[in-house]
Amino acid sequence: MNGDLENSTPLQSMQRIALLGSHLTSTRNKPSHKMAETKSDIHLYTAQTPNGIKVSMLLEELGLPYKVTAIEISKNTQKEPWFLDINPNGRIPALTDTLPDGSPVRLFESGSIMQYLVDRYDTEHKLSYPRGTAEYYEVNSWLFWQMGGLGPMQGQANHFARYAPEKIQYGIDRYQNETRRLYRVMDTQLSKSTSGYLVGDRLTIADIACWGWVAAGSWAGIRMDGLDHLNAWLDKVLTHPGCEKGRHVPSRHTMLDNRNKTEEELDKAAQKTRAWVQQGMKEDAKK
Amino acid sequence: MATKLNPLKPIRVWLTPPGPNPWKVVFLFEELGLNYEIKSFSFADVKKKPFTDVNPNGRVPAIEDPNTGLTLWESGAIYQYIVELYDTDKRLTHEALNDRHLCNQWLHFQMSGQGPYFGQAGWFQHLHPEKIPSAIERYTAEIKRVLGVLDGALAAAKPAAGDGARWLVGGKMTFADMAFVPWDFRLAEVLLQSWDEVWEGLPHARAWHERMVELPSWKRSMEHRARLMDEQGLQWNGVPKGIETFTEYEEKIARGEQ
Repeated sequence: MNGDLENSTPLQSMQRIALLGSHLTSTRNKPSHKMAETKSDIHLYTAQTPNGIKVSMLLEELGLPYKVTAIEISKNTQKEPWFLDINPNGRIPALTDTLPDGSPVRLFESGSIMQYLVDRYDTEHKLSYPRGTAEYYEVNSWLFWQMGGLGPMQGQANHFARYAPEKIQYGIDRYQNETRRLYRVMDTQLSKSTSGYLVGDRLTIADIACWGWVAAGSWAGIRMDGLDHLNAWLDKVLTHPGCEKGRHVPSRHTMLDNRNKTEEELDKAAQKTRAWVQQGMKEDAKK
Repeated sequence: MATKLNPLKPIRVWLTPPGPNPWKVVFLFEELGLNYEIKSFSFADVKKKPFTDVNPNGRVPAIEDPNTGLTLWESGAIYQYIVELYDTDKRLTHEALNDRHLCNQWLHFQMSGQGPYFGQAGWFQHLHPEKIPSAIERYTAEIKRVLGVLDGALAAAKPAAGDGARWLVGGKMTFADMAFVPWDFRLAEVLLQSWDEVWEGLPHARAWHERMVELPSWKRSMEHRARLMDEQGLQWNGVPKGIETFTEYEEKIARGEQ
C-alpha cells in the first residue's frame, strides 16, 4: 500500500482516511451497530464530581437507559473490594456494560468511557465525528488535553487552595495560574469557533469532558473574568437538555452557584470536606 | 517490522528533547518502523510562534502528517491516531471492541494518572528552588500508588504463552503498555531512589518495564534523545553541560541564573 497517500491533496487524503476509517468501523463494530438502538445494559458508578458528571451528561445526551450507583467518596466506597474489581484504581466514574455476545465490559477513566460510549452508541454522530475524519482526531486532542492537563492541574489547585493541611502559597499560585492559562487556551479556541463549541459544528465529548471542570472554576479559585467565550460556552452547553439533566446525577450540581460567593464563603464550605480529605491522606500514608 | 501502510512522506514530530512525553511518540514510531522526522527545538520556545501555531497549548509533542494534512497534539491523541491509521496489521493493538477500549482505558490512566503526578513530583523534587516536604511527599506517594495499581493489574493478567510475560491487555504488548515507559524510565531520578528501591514490592511492574526498555525501538529512541540533548548543550538529566550536579544546578536556578 506504499504510495497510496502520495501525491494527493490533504483533502483527498482525508477522504481516503475517512474511507479507511469507515471500513474499520464497519468491520469492527458490526454486532454493536445492530445493538445500538435496541438494548443497553449500562451501569454507571459515579459521584457528584467534574469527572462523574461527564458520563451522565453524555448518557443523557445519547438518550441511553442506564442504572446509577452513587459512590460515597467521603465513606471511601470507591476503595471497597467490590468496586476495586471494577476499577482497580479506586476512582470514579466506572462503567459496566454487556457486549452483544454476552461478555462483560468494565471500564474506568472518564475519557475512555466517553470514547467507548460514542464509538458504540453514537452511530448517528450526534456528539462525535466519524472515525477517520480530521474532526474525530481533533476531538481526541481536546479530550486528552482535558484528561492530562485541565483536570489534573485544576485538581491540584483544589487541593492547595481548599484541602491541604498547611497553606502553601506557592502551590496555590502554581496550579491556579496553570489552570487559568488552560482556560485562556480554551477561550481562544472558542473565539475562533463559529459554532461556539471546541471542534467543528457540534457539541462533542470534548466539550462535555471540560464542562464540569470549568463550571467548578470558582471553587478552585480561578478568576473567570475576561474569558467571554468560555463563559458563553458554559451556558450554551446547558441549552442541551441531556447536559442539563445529566449534570445533576447522582445528586444536584451546585458548582455554578459558587460564582457569586466570596473567598471566605468558599473556604467555610471547604472545611467539612477538608477534614475527611486529610483523614484519607493519613490513612493512605500508613499503607 | 514496518507496517503495511508506511507513509511516503515523513510524519514530522515537534519536540523539545528533555521531557518524557515526546519520547512516548518517538518510541511508537520506532516500534512500528514508520517514516518520521524529528523537529527539535529549545524548551524556551515552546510557548512561542511558530510552535504555538502547531499546538495552541504550547506543549510537546505535536505531529504534522503531510500524508493526511492533519496536525495533532497531546501524546494520547497522537497514539490513538497513529495506531488506528498506520498499525494496519494490529501488532500493537487489538481487533476486538472490548480489548481496544481496555487499551484506551490504560492510555487515559497513563495520561491523567501517571504523567501529571510524576511530572509534579519531578518539579517539586528538582526544579522548584525551595524544598516543600509536604508537596514532595504528596506526589511521591501518588507515584507509588499508581505503580501499585499497575503491578496489581499485571499480577492479575494471564502470562503470555511463550515467555510468560504479562501485559496490560490481551496477552501481548500494546500501545497501552508502551505509553508508560518514558516516565517509568525516569523513576530513580524523580524519586531520588535506587532502582531496587523504586520497584520494591512491585515485581510484575518492574519485569514489565524492564522488558520494554530492552527493545531496540526504545534504545534507538534514547539514542536520538542523547544526540538531541547534546546538540542543545544538555546532559542526559537536563542539566547544562559544565555543571556537575543537580544540587549545583538547583543553586544556580535559585540564584536566578537559569
